[in-house]
Amino acid sequence: MSSSTADVAQHATPPTTPGPTPARRGALRRPPSWRRAQHRRPWLLLSPGLLLLAVLLGFPLVRVVQLSFQDYGLRELARGEDNYVGLENYREILTSSFLWQTVLPNTVGFAVVCVVLTMLVGTAVAVFLNTLPRTWRTLCLTAVMIAWAVPAVTGTYVYVWLFDPLNGLVSTVLTDVGLIDRGAVNWFAERFSFYAIATLNVVQHGFPFVAVTVLSGLMTVPRELYEAAQIDGASAWRRFRSLTVPILKPVFAVCTILSTIWDFKVFTQIYLMPGGNGGNPDVYNLGVWSYIESFAQGRYGMGSAIAVLLTVILLLITVVYMRTLFSEEEL
Amino acid sequence: MKRPITGVAAVSALALTLAACSSGGGGTDEETPGGDGADYAGETLTVWVMEGTNPDSDAFFDEVGAAFEEKTGATLDVQMQPWASAHDKFITSIAGGTVPDVAEVGTTWTPEFAEVGALVDLTDRIAEAGLDGDLVGGLQEAGTYDGGLYGMPWYAGVRAMIYNTEIFEAAGITEPPTSWDDLLAAVEAIKTSQPDVIPFPVSGDSQYGLYPWVWGAGGELAEQDGDTWASTIASPEAVEGIEFYTDLALEHGSSTAAATTWNEANALEAFQQGDVGMIVSGSWTPAKIEQDNPELFAKLGAFPFPGKDGDVAGSFLGGSHLGIFEESDNQDLAWEFVQMMSTGEFAQKWAEQSGYFSGQASLVEAQSEAADPLQQAFATQMLEGGRSLPVTPAFGKVQGAKTVETMLQSILSGSASAQEAAETAAASMDETFASAAG
Repeated sequence: MSSSTADVAQHATPPTTPGPTPARRGALRRPPSWRRAQHRRPWLLLSPGLLLLAVLLGFPLVRVVQLSFQDYGLRELARGEDNYVGLENYREILTSSFLWQTVLPNTVGFAVVCVVLTMLVGTAVAVFLNTLPRTWRTLCLTAVMIAWAVPAVTGTYVYVWLFDPLNGLVSTVLTDVGLIDRGAVNWFAERFSFYAIATLNVVQHGFPFVAVTVLSGLMTVPRELYEAAQIDGASAWRRFRSLTVPILKPVFAVCTILSTIWDFKVFTQIYLMPGGNGGNPDVYNLGVWSYIESFAQGRYGMGSAIAVLLTVILLLITVVYMRTLFSEEEL
Repeated sequence: MKRPITGVAAVSALALTLAACSSGGGGTDEETPGGDGADYAGETLTVWVMEGTNPDSDAFFDEVGAAFEEKTGATLDVQMQPWASAHDKFITSIAGGTVPDVAEVGTTWTPEFAEVGALVDLTDRIAEAGLDGDLVGGLQEAGTYDGGLYGMPWYAGVRAMIYNTEIFEAAGITEPPTSWDDLLAAVEAIKTSQPDVIPFPVSGDSQYGLYPWVWGAGGELAEQDGDTWASTIASPEAVEGIEFYTDLALEHGSSTAAATTWNEANALEAFQQGDVGMIVSGSWTPAKIEQDNPELFAKLGAFPFPGKDGDVAGSFLGGSHLGIFEESDNQDLAWEFVQMMSTGEFAQKWAEQSGYFSGQASLVEAQSEAADPLQQAFATQMLEGGRSLPVTPAFGKVQGAKTVETMLQSILSGSASAQEAAETAAASMDETFASAAG
């Protein structure tokens, strides 16, 4: 009872705050110079943040694009010279069969599977948490958040150890059951099993964010809607599909886009797995490829071009996804 | 209870005061007549040293710092760098102009940094000091770029085989293998007598474990023709070596599928658990085993890599140079430090403490005579079979691309035959050589 009263109180608050209308009316009566100053003020307030972003994000971004048009190696780096080659890097990447047969399928396939699983698991956990009483919800949330708080490096090593072919828990259990011989199967050597392990790792690390975000969305949905639907005889699934999904659409959209971005540019979780640091080219994704070209091969131009390609793909996906999800008015 | 503590405190306070007095007095006494010590007074020499080589490096560099200050008057600022991120750090500081005066440079990096003009050519200084006749050959070769020596040989390590004497005895092997046939016989004997033991794991993520078999069969990795390099890893001799090594796993059951993605550390871990017969190991590894697992250390034996027909096969002679950076304002002072570290007392002490071999040939010989049988096997490996990798910055890129590991893993996982995989690797190497030349 107490929690639902709190909900009602929460929803009662917004309308009592004074709306923007009186202020706008006042602005209309002011002289034009005042209005110009008022237009400038938000930018003034934003400027420290924008400046910081320009330095921390803008400059590297411009530099990466610049580098992607150069044959830039250690020599150029040490001497501070430029060495423009036009679109040569892009030509080399886009015409290589390695991109189309290995890297892109790995990156895209892995990301799609991870995003779908992360969203499903995250939403399921959120719906489950929403049904719990407060104490249990807090307890479960804490447990979920711990999974999220574990650094990617630590999490990856946990999975590497779990699936260690000789001494890992999985191989020990399977050996004891009699399914495999100890050390006879190496899951890291095959592309598919390699990515299956990586998927487990990434989904486990990614779902808490979705769960927490969706849960906070769920808690704002007025209970009356569900009660009304229940009285109308709607099943639990129907209530979820016809109430929760439409109301939480923006939340799902944000979660999906962020997960897509994260899962496309996964690097640590792949690079740290046995064979993932370049020893097995079958398991390269765009991030690892870019890193190896740049820092192991010293071809910074090439690595940058791959990074730019990754960014462009992400932008395209995000734009297309946003367009299909929302009509223009909704955005 | 209180009294003794006060007593101790008083005595130590007194000792400290005395020490302070005497050191202050000594300093002024020495500076006046010698003049030598005041040359660089007030200056600081920044040095980067790789972490983990010497387990007790703090004490070592405290001692070096004191001796250095006494000799030159300058202060020594030693900064330890982890190997894993060192290459990146070197490159970014070369680009940003934030290099130290002197740095320990891995032998495979020296030509790379020399090529971009970051390191000072030390040839003349070394000749002037009369040190050029006594350098360890492999280290000298590795530090030479375009006719100049850009790194002063400091210390070297080499890989050989270590084995578990208990497992060998149980299998009835009395003498360590000295030829490929011996090795195969040993693998068979271990397999039949102790089925749970992995006789000799073939680690897929370790290039240095492969080279001895390529060299032992008479093969080479790459050959230089004028200014260009061409890979020879797909030559019949090289492929014979690759085949022998990988067949240990694929035909003779000497390894385990798990080892396909193992690196040296993983193999060592398995060896330390006690159910692995022999592994490829660095000369610096026994010291680590002694620390982690004294029980196993007592059962440790070592032998040089057997060549195909019973000679000592080549093994990569790795190690470090001391390089002086072109941007250093204090190159003369830096050279003083380099000499102090790489010759005489401190060179010997560093080698002893770290389990490596000195960069001076005369010191290595002395070391090998004094050494225990374990270190003697490594010394034999180093003196009779110490080899360097193709000395070109392009080979650093081959290593960066993990071309050789890729080849090994594709053979071990069964996706390519030795011949096919070697041809792929050779093509990839040639491409790297060509792009580096262009």
